[in-house]
Amino acid sequence: MEFELDYLLRQWPALRSGLMVTIEVSALAIALSILVGLVGAGIRVMHVPVLSQIVVAYVEFIRNTPLLVQLFFVFFGLPAIGLTLSLFWSGVLALTLWAGAFQTENLRGGLASVGPGLREAGRALGLNRLQYLWLIGLPLAVRISLPSMLNTGVSLVKNSAYVSAIGLQDLTGVAFDRMASDFRAFEMLTVLLVGYLTLVLTLSASVRLLEHRLHAPFRR
Amino acid sequence: MTHGMALIAENWQLLLLGLRATINLAFVTLIASTILGVLLGTLATVRAWQVRWLIALYVEVFRDIPLIVTIFTIFFGAPYLGVPLEPFPAVALGLSLWGAANGAEIVRGGIQAIPDGQREAARALGLHAWKIYLLVLWPQALRNVLPAFTGLLALIVQSTSLGSLVGVTEFLKAGGLIIERSTVMQGINPAFEVYGFVLLVYFTICSVLTAFSRWLELRLVARGGAQTVRAPDTARL
Repeated sequence: MEFELDYLLRQWPALRSGLMVTIEVSALAIALSILVGLVGAGIRVMHVPVLSQIVVAYVEFIRNTPLLVQLFFVFFGLPAIGLTLSLFWSGVLALTLWAGAFQTENLRGGLASVGPGLREAGRALGLNRLQYLWLIGLPLAVRISLPSMLNTGVSLVKNSAYVSAIGLQDLTGVAFDRMASDFRAFEMLTVLLVGYLTLVLTLSASVRLLEHRLHAPFRR
Repeated sequence: MTHGMALIAENWQLLLLGLRATINLAFVTLIASTILGVLLGTLATVRAWQVRWLIALYVEVFRDIPLIVTIFTIFFGAPYLGVPLEPFPAVALGLSLWGAANGAEIVRGGIQAIPDGQREAARALGLHAWKIYLLVLWPQALRNVLPAFTGLLALIVQSTSLGSLVGVTEFLKAGGLIIERSTVMQGINPAFEVYGFVLLVYFTICSVLTAFSRWLELRLVARGGAQTVRAPDTARL
């Protein structure tokens, strides 16, 4: 078995569209999961009755079930109760729900470390709880939680490969389809290895850089 | 809804078969990742930087490549190397290589959490390098890493569901088969109930393991153990 660059170049358009799907799904799911996290962490910190317990249950449920089964449940199971989503949006929804649980925990940790002094100061200024959260708590918490939030994002990019299991043609989906039809393994496996390592390592390196920048005021 | 529940009850044998395969797969993976993880994690604490660098590379690669890609690569790639693998060993191998990377990180953390004085004292007593590990470092590290390894087991149980994609009839696949059969033969699609049930069973198993891991950690802290080693984040799955 030899590595043929020609073959790889011929497959490039398909692979590129697969890579774009991977990036689109990941970007949408990261953005939406942060929204989920903001709402979830807000509910937890404000101790909203009932909703707070629901968020706790949601986080525990997501953490203790396999992402693949969550994905199957969204894609195959939800249509039975009248919620039919396309392949693409099923993937986005499953990844959002999954990462949303981790973003909730990340942000909750950040909010918890903001400290009661600021909350009291906010109340003294006449801010209500929602105003405190929006104007004081969250801006500070996001800064504290940003590294862990972005790490969750990096994991999401990696785990977006799961969507190929329901048939979405992302990078993994395209590469393994080609492998099956052309009986050439070596080139496609190289693409996957290089592709994901590049994505993940670039992202985690930028996270580290950002972490370094954010810590600048606290150094020395 | 009631139909789905009846279907699950009717097919309990198939589901039990699947559950057994899931447990077998998790067990084999746990053993292999522990052995390989202890080996790699120990080597990650030696003085030679070349060795440490190689281990760090291994850990990084297997944690950054999607697990689904690792398993597909082994299952579909093995025939090209002239050693076709059955689904079960292929998945067990893929999961173990990934589990070993996580196990190595835990073991490395567990050994490094032991105060330096222990190693120095052992050396001052004239103990051989391997005896320092065997008699001094490993027994103490064992306490440190237990909670994290229990957490890892929960992750392993979750990741065995990937076996369904290459043809291991584990728990998720068993659920899929029930849905397929009912859709073809009775024209009813019970995917919501069956996959819901599958989710609940995984949830039960993994929450017990996670709770046990937390309990071990609390107990360790209460007894004034060295800093505990944190379980690998589920987000790294």
